[in-house]
Amino acid sequence: MTQVMLNALVVGTTYALIALGITIIFSIMKVVNFAHGQLYMIGGFVVYYFNVVFGLPFWFGLVMSFLIVGLLGVAMELFLFRPVMLRVKREEVTMLLAMGTAVFLESLALIVFGEKQRGVPPIATGIVELFGARLPTGRIVVIVVAAMLIAALMAFIGYTKTGRALRAMAQDREATALQGVNLKWLSAMGFGLGTGLAGLSGGLLVAIFAVHTGAGTAISIKAFLMIMIGGAGVLSGAILGGFVLGFLESVGYALLPGSLTFLIIFLIVICFLIVRPNGIMGKPWG
Amino acid sequence: MSAQFSIRDLAVSYGRVRAVKGVSLTAGEGQIISLIGANGAGKSSILRAITGLTAPESGEIWFDGERIDGKGPDQIVARGVAMVPEGRRIFPFMSVRDNLLMGAYRRKDNAGVASDLEGILTRFPRLRERIRQQAGSLSGGEQQMVALGRALMSKPRLLLLDEPSLGIAPIIVREIARFITSINRDNGVSVILVEQNSRMALKLSSHSYVLETGKIALSGPSHELAENDDVRRAYLGG
Ligand SMILES: Nc1ncnc2c1ncn2[C@@H]1O[C@H](COP(=O)(O)OP(=O)(O)O)[C@@H](O)[C@H]1O
Ligand SMILES: [Mg+2]
Repeated sequence: MTQVMLNALVVGTTYALIALGITIIFSIMKVVNFAHGQLYMIGGFVVYYFNVVFGLPFWFGLVMSFLIVGLLGVAMELFLFRPVMLRVKREEVTMLLAMGTAVFLESLALIVFGEKQRGVPPIATGIVELFGARLPTGRIVVIVVAAMLIAALMAFIGYTKTGRALRAMAQDREATALQGVNLKWLSAMGFGLGTGLAGLSGGLLVAIFAVHTGAGTAISIKAFLMIMIGGAGVLSGAILGGFVLGFLESVGYALLPGSLTFLIIFLIVICFLIVRPNGIMGKPWG
Repeated sequence: MSAQFSIRDLAVSYGRVRAVKGVSLTAGEGQIISLIGANGAGKSSILRAITGLTAPESGEIWFDGERIDGKGPDQIVARGVAMVPEGRRIFPFMSVRDNLLMGAYRRKDNAGVASDLEGILTRFPRLRERIRQQAGSLSGGEQQMVALGRALMSKPRLLLLDEPSLGIAPIIVREIARFITSINRDNGVSVILVEQNSRMALKLSSHSYVLETGKIALSGPSHELAENDDVRRAYLGG
């Protein structure tokens, strides 16, 4: 059981990172980024290319996964979401736009990256014994790095001037503009931060699980599940949602035949949402 | 000598609704002017046009010898204009401290920001007691203090106030009135005060404009308007 718990921790920390990214985008743009999983997948390929194809260090690839997928997000905000949101106010439109982007990115990835599963050499060797369970060192490294990234992100949002402005923008865009904030720049930056986190989680997880172009869809759905569990728009809820889903999934896979796990998770989430439609921490973040 | 701030023939429309139909006004440096008028007269629309939240349909807005209409809010705020919007619009899920610091977003002088924050907390001791609380949990009057403090944190030279007394207990209205007078006198900030509380507006300002359905119906020194029979009947209750 300790083994399962440690696994849940690996999955939970990276899921939390994914959920934080989609939450930031949702908070500042009121857009559910259904392309989040596809950006995650691209992050995985970025690390694969830098590490395996170009022979550069894994960590360099990881930084690039954040930057490249982040810039991709900035472009998405500037050239897709902003022009559309200026013309139409209906929420369904941005949802459809996000879904369309997901399909587009996945098809593009298939052309560019091919359909082969790609992985990277182990980032650390050896086995660590923890509480009587045996865990590959690589997984421990992933947990630690993901936890540090989450802490760094929370510090950025909570204690820097830009982080404060992002929180303000999530609450009241006009009032934020009245403080001298350039909303155009900050929206694009916030969107890029959110997608960059998707890229980063994909890049980090490629160290454990291989990546393939179809990996995004499941992650997009899971990211959506996590914010439904945690409460849309709340950072602490995103972290919680990530861990809850990571835990349910790890326990489910350990105890149940493969395909049953997510069926049961969906049932649990539906029942939970009937009781608490706003998720565990449902309120706007700040 | 040209005025520090002036509006020439401003028009603002929302689709087919013409909210402001050719308004001109001026404010000299260090002056408090007031804009009074019934609900829907177009007062907020004028302020929103000045700060760039609403694009004017036509007309010119000048500040410090520069034309500012057509610029974005961030550009206008950077030039020294701050606004306390209608309904306060504080950030409800942010601490009082973070709300106040948001006002200093564009400032780089950290020491100056810290001392200005201290100054605001000294002026409003109630905010010091609640500095870590979420601003949304404060009373209406306290929220108005947060909104005023936030606006001041940008070190404005022109402050626009949209109905600061609305929905606030009379004792706090007096505190806010004293505050407006003191920032004008001590910091030399020019103020455009929009109020439905005409008595307060006429008392605090040196010059006033009476707005009716998007047009200036009357203007003049505030003490004269306060004596004017039409103004007394329409806005001061007899
Ligand atoms: N966002 C808007 N959309 C459409 N009409 C508006 C909007 N804002 C204000 N108006 C209209 O413009 C007119 C002036 O409103 P406003 O400037 O808010 O007046 P005041 O601040 O004096 O009460 C009113 O008729 C109001 O209904
Ligand atoms: Mg108004």
